[in-house]
Amino acid sequence: MNITGLGALIKRNTKLYFKDKGMFFTSLITPLILLVLYGTFLSNVYEDTFRSALNAAGTSVSDKLIGGCVGGELVSSLLAVSCITVAFCSNLLMVQDKITGARHDITITPVKSSAIALSYYLSTLFTTLIICLIASGVCLGYLAYVGWYLTAGDAVALMGDVFLLTLFGTALSSCVNFPLSTNGQASAVGTIVSAGYGFICGAYMPISQFSDGLQKVISCLPGTYGTSLLRNHALRGVFEEMEDQGFPSAVVEAIKDSVDCNIYFFGDRVELGTMYIIVIAAILISIALYVAMNVLKTKKR
Amino acid sequence: MNNIIEISHLNKSFGEVKAVQDLSFKVKEGELFAFLGVNGAGKSTTINIMCGQLAKDSGEVRIDGFDLSKDPDSIKRSLGVVFQNSVLDKDLSVRDNLQSRAALYGISGEGFRDRLAELSEMLEFDNLLKRPLGKLSGGQRRRIDIARALLHRPKILILDEPTTGLDPQTRSTLWKVVGDLRKKEGMTVFLTTHYMEEAADADYVVILDSGKISAEGTPLTLKNTYTGDFVTIYGAEEAQVTKLGMPYEKIRDAYKVSVPDTAAATQLILKYPEIFSDYEIVKGKMDDVFLTVTGKKLTGGTEK
Repeated sequence: MNITGLGALIKRNTKLYFKDKGMFFTSLITPLILLVLYGTFLSNVYEDTFRSALNAAGTSVSDKLIGGCVGGELVSSLLAVSCITVAFCSNLLMVQDKITGARHDITITPVKSSAIALSYYLSTLFTTLIICLIASGVCLGYLAYVGWYLTAGDAVALMGDVFLLTLFGTALSSCVNFPLSTNGQASAVGTIVSAGYGFICGAYMPISQFSDGLQKVISCLPGTYGTSLLRNHALRGVFEEMEDQGFPSAVVEAIKDSVDCNIYFFGDRVELGTMYIIVIAAILISIALYVAMNVLKTKKR
Repeated sequence: MNNIIEISHLNKSFGEVKAVQDLSFKVKEGELFAFLGVNGAGKSTTINIMCGQLAKDSGEVRIDGFDLSKDPDSIKRSLGVVFQNSVLDKDLSVRDNLQSRAALYGISGEGFRDRLAELSEMLEFDNLLKRPLGKLSGGQRRRIDIARALLHRPKILILDEPTTGLDPQTRSTLWKVVGDLRKKEGMTVFLTTHYMEEAADADYVVILDSGKISAEGTPLTLKNTYTGDFVTIYGAEEAQVTKLGMPYEKIRDAYKVSVPDTAAATQLILKYPEIFSDYEIVKGKMDDVFLTVTGKKLTGGTEK
């Protein structure tokens, strides 16, 4: 493989992503909408719900702890969606290159088609990581403001989850965007992913609030476990504090169930280790699928 | 001169559509070769096969001594392509565009800087290097397209309808650059165009219709074979022109008489010298050749 060529393509793709203001802002629109939605409306609703539920259970709780709990839910939702939607938007360059003819100009050179495919993957991974790590920093700052209960280990684990979900989002978007060749198709996919992914991964609304049938379907999707990993790491300190303050374990477990820290696969609780295995397996399968699609296309041509 | 491109019995179909049928032709090193045909005639399919973008169904393609089936990468290094529309990245600067494309041929660092200096001097775009491609005029962009095609010093320059939509001045600049390249570097130019006056300057012309060659030869051969000559007679009366017994057309201040060839024109002049006091003889144009050969007229990309 021509390493100079691969490096040049990654540099080109990355520059194009940040220079295309439309693409850049489109990828930020979902996290921005989530932030505004939570800031103006949902945070109050969640806070009131928590407070009234805990009051009903005969316990009172500080504003800081409530803030940390609702903030942790917001942060995990925002990051879970951003890792996927930003990757989809960034990887739209793959489609844009077909539309503008740039892909044709690249493929008439001696550079291997595997290098071209890898360049899209790596540049999308790089740009998505930059944006999501910045978003993670902002989120941690927000948690420090509303209620900080994280250890250094939690913060590192949260970053690790972002990295894993970015790998997954990049691989998934590579497979979905691969066959697209028109602006209409790209726009349709972008809209569906932005609007739909947050629901099916449990970011916009906890899965526990869906019907039983839907919960079973959603438990078969790997993104659900990515969101749950983020939520577990963002809220671990909050739950520990609740237990330290003498909250009954049953109450803490009930809260964990209600915010999807506990995920059930056909009735069986999925442990954190298993969640990692599922997400990593989903990444590997998506990458294998992307490679297979490229190999098949090269052979077909 | 050696053959730099040799295509033998090339076939390519898309489902039921036979895009290229038993196509064979040769291009000599250093010549300007024109490949003509209406849209859908098979020109782009042939070029795409030559560039390794499409697999052929059967036939043989040899370019610069390399067999396309065995050594496509070497062929890609021998070809530079100027597409009909600019395919460079509009958001990137001219330098970034050329740098990213040069790297795909393994040209980087000092090698790239030297080549960029050469090309920017040749094509006069030194002052455009930092500007985003999307902010350039059509003519400026075309010069960058040519520079991109020449980055790796290809032996063959494929120009795919390079002047469509360009103003006459830019068109003339482009042909001057291409002419200089042929003179200085002996570059072979493979041209597809809808402008017949450009094809008239070619060393050899192939006319494609429905994926097959309809006619080929030098422009002179084609004109002699497929069109007659025209004698324009000034200051004559219509009665005199009628006496010539040849089809004619009245134009503003003269009569345009069609004759089968130059010999027939000479005979008429010798027979009726009193009519030919002020006249000119011109050969048929490539437009007439194309119309006769294909029954279709090429007008800026549309078939009539």
